[in-house]
Amino acid sequence: MAGQQAEPAADGQDRARRAREAAQPHLIDTELEHLPPELRWREWMARVEAVIFAASEPVPREVLARVVGRDCNLDLIVDDIRAELAGRPYELVSVAGGWQHRTRKAYADIIRAAAGQAAAEKARPLSQTEALVLLCIAYFQPITRAELSSFFGREVSRDLIGALRSSDFIASGPRSPTPGAPYTYVTTRTFLSHFGLDTLRDLPNFEALEDAGLLSREKLLAGDIPAGLAGGEDGEG
Amino acid sequence: MILPAASLSEPPAPASPPRRAARTKIAAAPAPAPEPPMVPGWALPAAPVADAAHAAFLAGAALNSLDALVRGQPAWAGAWRQRLALRCAASACRLAGRAETEAALRDAWALRPAGVFLPLDGPPSAPGTSAVALGPAGALLAAWRLLATRAPALDAATLAAVAELLGLGRDEALEEIAQSVSAPRASRDGKPAPFSAAAAAAQVMALRPDAELLAWWLADLAMAQSLRWPRPVPLLMAQAFGPAFRVEGGRGRAARLRPGDDGFVRALNLALAEGAAEACRLAGEISRRAARLCEVTPKLRAKGAPDAVRLLLDDDAVPGTLTTKRLSRFASRRLFERLEGFGAVRELTGRTSFRLYGL
Repeated sequence: MAGQQAEPAADGQDRARRAREAAQPHLIDTELEHLPPELRWREWMARVEAVIFAASEPVPREVLARVVGRDCNLDLIVDDIRAELAGRPYELVSVAGGWQHRTRKAYADIIRAAAGQAAAEKARPLSQTEALVLLCIAYFQPITRAELSSFFGREVSRDLIGALRSSDFIASGPRSPTPGAPYTYVTTRTFLSHFGLDTLRDLPNFEALEDAGLLSREKLLAGDIPAGLAGGEDGEG
Repeated sequence: MILPAASLSEPPAPASPPRRAARTKIAAAPAPAPEPPMVPGWALPAAPVADAAHAAFLAGAALNSLDALVRGQPAWAGAWRQRLALRCAASACRLAGRAETEAALRDAWALRPAGVFLPLDGPPSAPGTSAVALGPAGALLAAWRLLATRAPALDAATLAAVAELLGLGRDEALEEIAQSVSAPRASRDGKPAPFSAAAAAAQVMALRPDAELLAWWLADLAMAQSLRWPRPVPLLMAQAFGPAFRVEGGRGRAARLRPGDDGFVRALNLALAEGAAEACRLAGEISRRAARLCEVTPKLRAKGAPDAVRLLLDDDAVPGTLTTKRLSRFASRRLFERLEGFGAVRELTGRTSFRLYGL
C-alpha cells in the first residue's frame, strides 16, 4: 500500500522536475570553460554515457547534444566510450537513429540461462513463419495482408499480424486503395532497434543475398529461413 | 500652378478602392492569371552541349522564364509545386532502388493514416508521427513536399527531419552539412544560382557519399536561396536520370553523373534548362485547367465549394471523400462529379473507388 502511494508521488515529482528542466534548459554548464581540455572531454564522455545508460531506449543525437558543448563532436565521444568499453561484456551500439547500451551477443545464452524460464517466455523468439512474414514486410513495405497471403500462396492469419503488431515490429501504414481499404503494414523503429539496424537501408540487399546463395525465393516460399537471417534475432542479449 | 499639382496628386486616392475590391474578389474566387511564361525554344539544348559557357547560357535563359513564373505567385502555384514534388519523388524512388510510380506515391500520401503530417507541420500535440507510417516511398514524397511548402531556410531540426524521411542515419557529417548550408552564405554569395546548387550538392556528397538523395534535395534548396525565391521549386531530382546527366557509353555506376563528379556543373546547367522548360510547360497546362476551374466556380452551388476549389489549387490531388466543416462526404462527391462534368478537374487514378481529383 505504501509503495503504491509513494509511486504516484515520485512520479509527480519526476514530472514536475522534467517540466522544470524543459522550461530551463540552460541550468547545466555544457561548455565547461573552466576545465582543461582533457578533463572537459572526460566530463562530456561521462555525461553522454550516463544519459545513454539511464535511458531504456536508444538515445538520439539531439538529446545528447543538450549535455555537451556546442562544438563537441558526438561521434568522437562515442568512439572514445566504445574504446573504453572494449573489455566489458556490454557495448554501445548505434541503432534506430540513436545509441544504446547492449550486452554483447556472446552472452545472450548466459543471460538467458541466468534469467530462467520467465525471461525466456517474455522475450519469446519469433516463429519461423513470423520471421518470414516480418522479412517480407520489411522488404516490400507498405504491403497489405492480402498481398502477403498471395505472396506466400497461403493465408497469413490476422493472429500472426496481431502478434507482430503487439511486439511493435510493425504498424499501420497508408491504406491500400483496394476493396475494404485495408491498412498496409510498415516496420517501426522498434524493428530497427531490435535487429540492430540504424535505418532501413541497412537491410541486406535482397539481390545480393540471392547472388551469394544465402537466400532464394523458392526456398523462402517453401518456408526455409536461412540460418544467418534467423540468427539475427539473437542480436540483443 | 498649384491647382494642376493638386489634381495630379489626387488620382491615386480614388484609384485605390477599386483595386482593393479586385483583390478581395481574387481571394474569394481566384481570377484567371495571364498565360505563364514559357522557356523559349532557343534556350533548349538541341544537340549535346559540351561547352560549359553554352550550358550556363541556356540555364540562365531558362531560369529567367522560371523566375518570372515563380515571382508571379499565381493562384495555382501550390498545385504546380506539389506536382513537381511528385515527379521528383518518383525519380528519388528510382534512385533509391524502389519500384513505386507517381500514382503509387500519390496514393501513399492521399491514403495516409489519420494524424500523419509533414514533419514540423502537424499540431504541436503530436509532432513527429510522420516518417515511419508513410512507408519508405511515401516518406520520400513527404521529403519533397516539405521542400515545396517551406521557405528555403534550413535549420538543424529541418535537416534532421529530412534525413529521417530520406532514410539516412544521423551523424556528425549531417550536422556539418546543416551548419554549412544554414550559415551565412559567405562562401556562396555572389555565385550564380546553378553553381551554388552544384557546390551544395557536391559538398553533401563529399561528406556523406551515401546521401545522394539529400544532395539533390539540398541543390534545389540552395537554388531557391540564391535566387531569393519565397519557396523552392523541386526541379533537379526529376532530371537526375535525364539526358543532361547521362554519360556517353558509361555503364553501371558510371552511367550518369552524380553530384561532385567532373563536369557536373555543366550537366546541372543543362538539366536546369530542361527542368525549367518542363516546369513551365506543366505550369501552362495547370494554368489552363485552373482558368477553367475559376470559370465554373460561380456555377457551383455547394456551400463548401470554395474550400474544395482552394484545395484543388493548392495541392496535387484531393481525395474524392474530402470532408470539411461545410462539405459532407456526399456533398463533396457530388461537387467533384459536377466539376468533372464541367471539365474543370481530372480524376487522377482511373479507379472507380478511392478517387483522387486534381487539376
